[in-house]
Amino acid sequence: MTYAHAPLTARLLGSLVPVMCPPEAWPLADAIVAHVGLTMGALPTPFRRALVTGLYGYDALALAWAPGRLRRAHQLPPDLAERYYLSWEHGPTPAHQQLAKGVGQLIKLGCYEQPAMQAALGYTPAAWIERVTRRRLEVYRDDIERQQAAILAPDPLRPPRPRRAEGA
Amino acid sequence: MVAVPRPAVRTDHVPAGVTTRDDLTAPLTLAADVVIVGSGAGGATLAAELAECGLDVVIVEEGRYFATRDFTADASAAVRALYRDGGATMALGDPPVLFQEGRAVGGSTVINGGMSWRTPERILDRWAREAAIDGIRPADMEPYFARVERRIHVAGQDPESIGTDNALLKRGADAMGWKVIPNLRNQVHCPGSNNCAFGCPTGAKQSALVSYIPRALHFGARLLSDVKIDRIVMAGKRATGVVGHAVGADGEPGVAVTVHAALVVAACGAIQTPALLARSGVRSPSGRLGHNLSLHPNVKLTAVFDEPVRGWEGVHQAYQVREFEAEGLLFAAVNIPPSILAMTSHPRGAALGRMMRDYDKTVVAGMLCEDTATGRVRSIGGRPQAFYQLADFDAAKLVRGVALLSELLFAAGARRVATPFAGVPELAGPDDTRALYARPIPKRAMEVVTVHMMGTAAMGADRARYVTDGHGRVHDADGLMVCDASLFPTPIGVNPMETIMALATRAAAHVLDTWAP
Repeated sequence: MTYAHAPLTARLLGSLVPVMCPPEAWPLADAIVAHVGLTMGALPTPFRRALVTGLYGYDALALAWAPGRLRRAHQLPPDLAERYYLSWEHGPTPAHQQLAKGVGQLIKLGCYEQPAMQAALGYTPAAWIERVTRRRLEVYRDDIERQQAAILAPDPLRPPRPRRAEGA
Repeated sequence: MVAVPRPAVRTDHVPAGVTTRDDLTAPLTLAADVVIVGSGAGGATLAAELAECGLDVVIVEEGRYFATRDFTADASAAVRALYRDGGATMALGDPPVLFQEGRAVGGSTVINGGMSWRTPERILDRWAREAAIDGIRPADMEPYFARVERRIHVAGQDPESIGTDNALLKRGADAMGWKVIPNLRNQVHCPGSNNCAFGCPTGAKQSALVSYIPRALHFGARLLSDVKIDRIVMAGKRATGVVGHAVGADGEPGVAVTVHAALVVAACGAIQTPALLARSGVRSPSGRLGHNLSLHPNVKLTAVFDEPVRGWEGVHQAYQVREFEAEGLLFAAVNIPPSILAMTSHPRGAALGRMMRDYDKTVVAGMLCEDTATGRVRSIGGRPQAFYQLADFDAAKLVRGVALLSELLFAAGARRVATPFAGVPELAGPDDTRALYARPIPKRAMEVVTVHMMGTAAMGADRARYVTDGHGRVHDADGLMVCDASLFPTPIGVNPMETIMALATRAAAHVLDTWAP
């Protein structure tokens, strides 16, 4: 869980933000890249290592991509970054395609996890949750307490047996 | 660059009877009558039933203990905290199928939608007939279903909790003349916070976390959270306990944990259970351990309406469209947060922005497909890896289901519908839905997910064909049971939680009837 991007990884992910996210999100690139780091921190270690290795490969193989003119992926201008990403999205092997898709998904997730992006959509779940939670407790308190008591009530048809094993 | 997590989940106020990694500072050895690995629908139910009758039960859960007050609308943080591997678990195949498993006290019941349906009678009859399981016909199972439904309070939704997305789904089904029914859910006056998949923040959903686990603890069960079981200890063919280790905050292994018990129960779900048995050296004479994986492949559609929908305001899946149940297809409205919608949608860049600008006018509808193919879980380096190939027949069924569901959404007033098929343009009307049949849609273009994994330690009388007997006791092993969806001989076509709980209740009765340590 204590993953942190290496500088190259962060730069590469940042260069992909304009490819994956709408223009209004581009100023949030640092925060989006940081969120990708949180998500990558939750991945199993072998998966995360494979992903980072794939990202390095994505970055380095741009050197051999003719339109890139010997630049790494994170150094490409936005129009070429887009074309280079497309070359992986429709790449020759499932590995190319899955890497492009997976990285894109992480960036899109991070994009719409940004509070500013959610606010722009009018997405306000916390306020809704607070309101309906309060109302539920006000209106249905008796039923709620009845269920909580029922959860702990013994079943008269199941008399307990004496315990056998010792605890520790 | 180090990201700072926003506050989302707290882990204070752990109840009595629960031992967490914070308490585990030295190696721990316990003795009990029964040790249950996994605290979800199967494990928690079995634990409560056995503890109430006086057996000394220890539950071991790999995930953390979270309380209702810990759950918030921060979906991404919840996924990282509550889902195995941050939700990035995948069955490899064509297409790859993303699946989710809960990893927290309460298991996947903490993150499911709360749909509570009995096993269809045709399925129970099939299990009795094909797997030769005694006492599993609908009439036999009736008392177990009834008992579970009382415990987790299965009920219809209060009308005021039903949001616009579900009302539109029902409107479309009614317009098509299709069968649509209110969903039964394990809830007490659920107010429709639509946060089910990220932990119920109201406490209304009666997940195992707030029902069977408190009951088990009340009757004396002990629960170890943050403990991963490495293997079941076998003495010849008899299981004698489990060994594992605490899981640190950084995921690194902590102190050793050992539990000796007369009965060991694997209840960690259809992906983890076969892997646990395999790495413990358990060999099924059937050769079927880990085989027979069914997934109920799910796909989703997004439909944009003229009117405000605000899908996050109202209950998750208030209705199910059952018109095509006989074909193995169910439809429902399944709102998801914008980040997850964006992540799982094909558009990117400016096109993604255009799509998301209509988020508050969007209905997300999902489809469950009862599958005919089976996959496999292999244990690779001790870790499970699922493999699954979508059958041609099921792929065709997904296309048909998407076309039907699109028709429903247009009948409800949708202006456009995005399908789960890459490369297929948005549908602009009912005529476009019919065109879906005209073009071949490759499986690799299908965005398929699931939360229903089943069948990898299937039960049946014949030890040459099934891994366990009809109660979940592993064939050719003593003191070893399975108690989760691994047991299902076939997919069931509906949400599996209540089936798992009913089978666990039935298993508990069998254990108590035959208990002789």
